[in-house]
Amino acid sequence: MAIQKILIPYNFTQIDQKAIDFVIETFSHLRDIEVGVFNAYTAAPEIETDASLITGKLKSSLSYLSQKILEKGTELDSVKQKLILSGFTESRIETIFKPRKKDIASEIIQLALDRKYDVIVLNRKHSRATRFFSGSVSHKIVMSLKNTAVCIVS
Amino acid sequence: MSAQEKIDIDLFKVVFRAMAQSDNLEIMANHLTQLLVAALEIKGCTIFALNPESEELEVLASFGLSMNYVNKGPVLSDKSITDTFNGKPTVIRDVANTRHLQYPEDAKKEKIGAIVSIPIKFYGKVIGALRLYHHELWDVSEKDVDSLFVLAENIGLAMTYTRVLKAIKTIKYTVDDIHGLWLLEE
Repeated sequence: MAIQKILIPYNFTQIDQKAIDFVIETFSHLRDIEVGVFNAYTAAPEIETDASLITGKLKSSLSYLSQKILEKGTELDSVKQKLILSGFTESRIETIFKPRKKDIASEIIQLALDRKYDVIVLNRKHSRATRFFSGSVSHKIVMSLKNTAVCIVS
Repeated sequence: MSAQEKIDIDLFKVVFRAMAQSDNLEIMANHLTQLLVAALEIKGCTIFALNPESEELEVLASFGLSMNYVNKGPVLSDKSITDTFNGKPTVIRDVANTRHLQYPEDAKKEKIGAIVSIPIKFYGKVIGALRLYHHELWDVSEKDVDSLFVLAENIGLAMTYTRVLKAIKTIKYTVDDIHGLWLLEE
């Protein structure tokens, strides 16, 4: 059987944890499974440096914050550990932590196409007002990808 | 901490440039929370959108707070700093001495000392809230509260613009889906 590649977008919330649990329950007993745990973070904004005291100070604060943001990436390792303890092979689990350049659905679609994932496991919260502004991530992914199974954990 | 003014025209320039340079509301809102945390040297900042049906505040962007605190439970507009939803800015200079919080114990666990809550309005209607969290007591100046109010109004404009743009795109996709066959003139 060919290797099945599973992508789990992860944003450190409880409902993301449900998606992880779903993957463990459904796929951990199978061989030939590769898992990618993905988080796209918003990098700190770049600001122009000029003679102003406040922008100089702000730039230094943002540099500190950037380090803090990058430290968040190490938290994906705990998800990796959980998957290993549940039976997945360590060498077949990848954590992907990268800055987002566009909306989150487009980031997931791009990654799925680039790395040829077979399955994407998403989560979905009900009646979110923020969806009015950002759109439905799951809808955009389902409408954009072909030959990819999309599981939605709600 | 004294009521020293921290928001000046230079900071406004940086914040508004960051807002203008982003074509994605979520990224813009995240940048805004990061800039406010860095510039005001506070613990965290969250931008909420109000769900008018459930009257819950939903997190649009947040920075500096733990995920446990951000996901502590539904934030209800009639229980959490209610003055914000009457359109008034609220300064809670000491979270240990207030009745305005829905989750006071969670705020203590998170080591939040003070909260400033500013309504995000559009055409006089509250559509969200900008909240800033300090790790210590906070005597924020009136001028800074006014400045945050102006900032929140601009966030309201950006949210409304994004909502309208999304509606237009949805209409365009729907119209584009109509095959020419259905548009033949009689």
